[in-house]
Amino acid sequence: MKMRFVPCVIMTTAVLALAGCAAPGGSIYVPAGGGSRVPVQPSVTPGAEEPVPVWEQEKPETSAPAPVTPPAATAPSYRDSGDSLSPAALSLVREADRLLDQGNAPAAITKLERAQRIAPRSAEVYFKLSEAYVQSQQLGRAEQFALKGLSLAGNNTGLQRAGWILLADIRRARGNVAGATEAEAKASAL
Amino acid sequence: MKKKSASSGPRKKSPRKSPRRQKRSGFWRFLLRAFIIGVVLLAGWMVYLDAVISDRFEGRRFEVPSRVYARPLELYDGASIGAAALERELKLSGFRKGDGVRAGSYRRNGGRFVISTRGFSFPDGDEPRRRLALTISGDRVRNFAVVSGPASPIVRLEPAQIGGIYPSHKEDRILVRLDDVPALLPATLMVVEDRHFYDHFGIAPLSIARAMLANLRAGRIVQGGSTLTQQLVKNFFLTRDQTLLRKGNEALMSVLLELHYDKDDILETYLNEVYLGQAGTRSINGLGLASQFYFGESLKDLGVHQIALLVGMIKGPSYYNPRRHPDRALTRRNLVISEMEDAGLIDSVQATRARGLPLGVTEKPSYSEDRYPAYIDLVRRHLARDYREEDLRSHGLRIFTTLNPTIQYAAEFAVKDTLPRIGYGEVRKALEAALVVTAKDTGEVVALVGGRDPDFAGFNRALDAQRPIGSLVKPFVYLSALSRPEKYTLITPVQDRSFTLEFDDGKRWQPKNYDGKERGPVPLHEALSHSYNLPAVRVGLDVGIAAVKDTLQAFGVTSDISEYPSMLLGAVSMTPVSVAQMYQGLATSGFNTPLRTIREVTDAGGEALTRYSLEVDQVADPAAVHLVQYAMQETMHEGTGKSAYYTVPKELSLAGKTGTTDDGRDSWFAGFSGDLLAVAWVGRDDNGPTSLTGASGALPVWSRFMAQVPQHGFSPVVPDGVSYHWVNDREQALTDENCDNARRVPFISGSEPERKISCSGALQRRIQGWFEGLFR
Repeated sequence: MKMRFVPCVIMTTAVLALAGCAAPGGSIYVPAGGGSRVPVQPSVTPGAEEPVPVWEQEKPETSAPAPVTPPAATAPSYRDSGDSLSPAALSLVREADRLLDQGNAPAAITKLERAQRIAPRSAEVYFKLSEAYVQSQQLGRAEQFALKGLSLAGNNTGLQRAGWILLADIRRARGNVAGATEAEAKASAL
Repeated sequence: MKKKSASSGPRKKSPRKSPRRQKRSGFWRFLLRAFIIGVVLLAGWMVYLDAVISDRFEGRRFEVPSRVYARPLELYDGASIGAAALERELKLSGFRKGDGVRAGSYRRNGGRFVISTRGFSFPDGDEPRRRLALTISGDRVRNFAVVSGPASPIVRLEPAQIGGIYPSHKEDRILVRLDDVPALLPATLMVVEDRHFYDHFGIAPLSIARAMLANLRAGRIVQGGSTLTQQLVKNFFLTRDQTLLRKGNEALMSVLLELHYDKDDILETYLNEVYLGQAGTRSINGLGLASQFYFGESLKDLGVHQIALLVGMIKGPSYYNPRRHPDRALTRRNLVISEMEDAGLIDSVQATRARGLPLGVTEKPSYSEDRYPAYIDLVRRHLARDYREEDLRSHGLRIFTTLNPTIQYAAEFAVKDTLPRIGYGEVRKALEAALVVTAKDTGEVVALVGGRDPDFAGFNRALDAQRPIGSLVKPFVYLSALSRPEKYTLITPVQDRSFTLEFDDGKRWQPKNYDGKERGPVPLHEALSHSYNLPAVRVGLDVGIAAVKDTLQAFGVTSDISEYPSMLLGAVSMTPVSVAQMYQGLATSGFNTPLRTIREVTDAGGEALTRYSLEVDQVADPAAVHLVQYAMQETMHEGTGKSAYYTVPKELSLAGKTGTTDDGRDSWFAGFSGDLLAVAWVGRDDNGPTSLTGASGALPVWSRFMAQVPQHGFSPVVPDGVSYHWVNDREQALTDENCDNARRVPFISGSEPERKISCSGALQRRIQGWFEGLFR
């Protein structure tokens, strides 16, 4: 079963490489010094002598004004896809790829965890971690990382398909035929 | 020795009848016996001394404290850090402000930095020396470039040492190998302390005689005749009494040491053993650590003037302490430089230049002990699962933790700055706090504050204060409900109306809202965001206490959970750290991520011993968690958490939940941004009332913290099977985007309302259905 399994993963990798470039958007970054705050200070502490501390900047750091950020979030925020990989994270993922090719899954996992720390909201890193755990025969972990990646794939069909195929392969290798079929159906429905 | 043996030796009585000759030969025989016994005893004593000295020598050579490191700062284009924070991190890692060209120095010009790294050997590979250039703008790294050294889009700085686990004698050292020490150092050492080190056999009788003569002439001790070997032996046994017996033992041991070990072994041990100062209870031993301690540099990078100072200090580390007595230290250093010149170790140009340089000592040591006692406490508890205390104290392990010094700084500041401003009167003085911060998607504990004085290593409230969590439990009550989309959606009306529960034993329970009011039917999302008690209990009882308990346990709660309905209002006691663990799953769309403080432990040589990897475990349906996250975001905009935005920039979207227990005994806030999860607790150690709520006690601390850290806003990816719709939540109907009461709400697909109404409330559903049918 495992013999059949490996080519599928390689195929997934190829899909990933394509999908990686397509992922749009990114999280909204808010510098500590920038941005605006609600101007009026209401009394939120009943009976308090003085109001809750208002914002003050720790130290003015640069004369450069903070980049203009989107309008104030006044309603719960959500988005349709995760972050794309930054060049720094991408370089770590590529190093991990090289290590995986050499059959050094533990070293690849270390690199990928470093990538995950700087790109924690990009599905690709989790799919790659999943692959690394497949290679080191830890299929339980592999399945979890595939699921985590899928939770960040959003409406990116390329990433979704890659994730479901990866998940189907892992589930089949674990003997979960029903789960595998379900994942495959998800992939082909895209 | 001999005398002692004679007096204590056995005295056999000879027979009385012997004549004088017999008497005389008996005397000689006795003398011979005494001599033999003496020799045997001396030999025994030497064997004993030999065992002692060998044991000490071998033991000392390997007893090295474990070092605890912060996470290394990753620098790359887009990395999130402010300029002041970067400078602080650099200093913490032992960088000095300078030209940015010399390894271990940096240059700053506004937001522009040039940094020359020293390189560091990480468990997963070496980070070579590099010169980096970058600009900090808008709290981010821009224009990152490697100016010299191997190119890379991402570079790690050497991590700051944040703690040590010391042998019981509190000696700290960084082991150096003789091969790695610049040759000038041992050469200078010998010129100053022991010119004939390579020729003598442990003691140098001539030097001793010379010293005695000099001392006699001067009438006081002006010169010591101790060899390096004798000094080393003296260092092993810390008593300072100058008895003859001790001197004799010292000399014997020195000779024995020389018999057993070769000169280089002895010299190397001396370099690692010699006492060079004190930092609190910790003693600075060995030149490797002394170099770090006084200059913030590694031994191999020291200049002539620095080597001279270190060697000069050996004579009296406290008398010549360059931080406390710079003038004395300078005179002593220049004297050593002259001796180096006389001995031909350096030429006169070098000597003159070295004498002209300042001491070059850092203002204070880059690493000071106990800077983060609460965090180190957690690290030690995690280590205790896999390591024995004695191994940690003596094996020189390297422990790579997840502490982020920048975030820790912000967390400590938030507690110290906010606590004196909340509450009033006696209560204010009695207030204590805890703050736990984790990286949302990695589960790494990045900061921990255990009390209002973060430097004080006392009761660690973050780990040990078990307190009822109050309304922090509500998201899990509603998650249990929203996991049943056929029955509950975010707009399902829930009853905010009082009721009484009567138990079998006749006891009655009548929960109340915090404000004592009742609002009748309210949409579920509002009941959560405004933290109404009555609907939470009703919903919890409807889905069942067992189901809520299951949810809590799935999210990692291990403490006892009561089966009484009061658990639906948070009658569950937990520590701030375990709350952080429980909320991790909520923050990451249903994936539990075990909290970690350690990434890796290696042995002294850098060989990996244990790695603590990232783990994720899906424990809840991401779709249902997404709905709860919606209401927790609403909490920050419209509900109990909205005062956060008087402190936090409006653009930073956040999600969170307040928690308050009876009489304000506990004030909680747990919430997250895109990057960080933080749990704040404020209360009194004596569990007394404070009149604070989660919003007026813990939330100000939490917001103060969040406001200082540049980070990404919380904006969850819509999971598979969730769709957003514009609804009128009072009517439980779809509506148009431009209606006044329209709200965009996520639904688990299929659970959205079927009816659609216009802004005025007129039914539209039938017409729409007919149209849909037409085009299907």
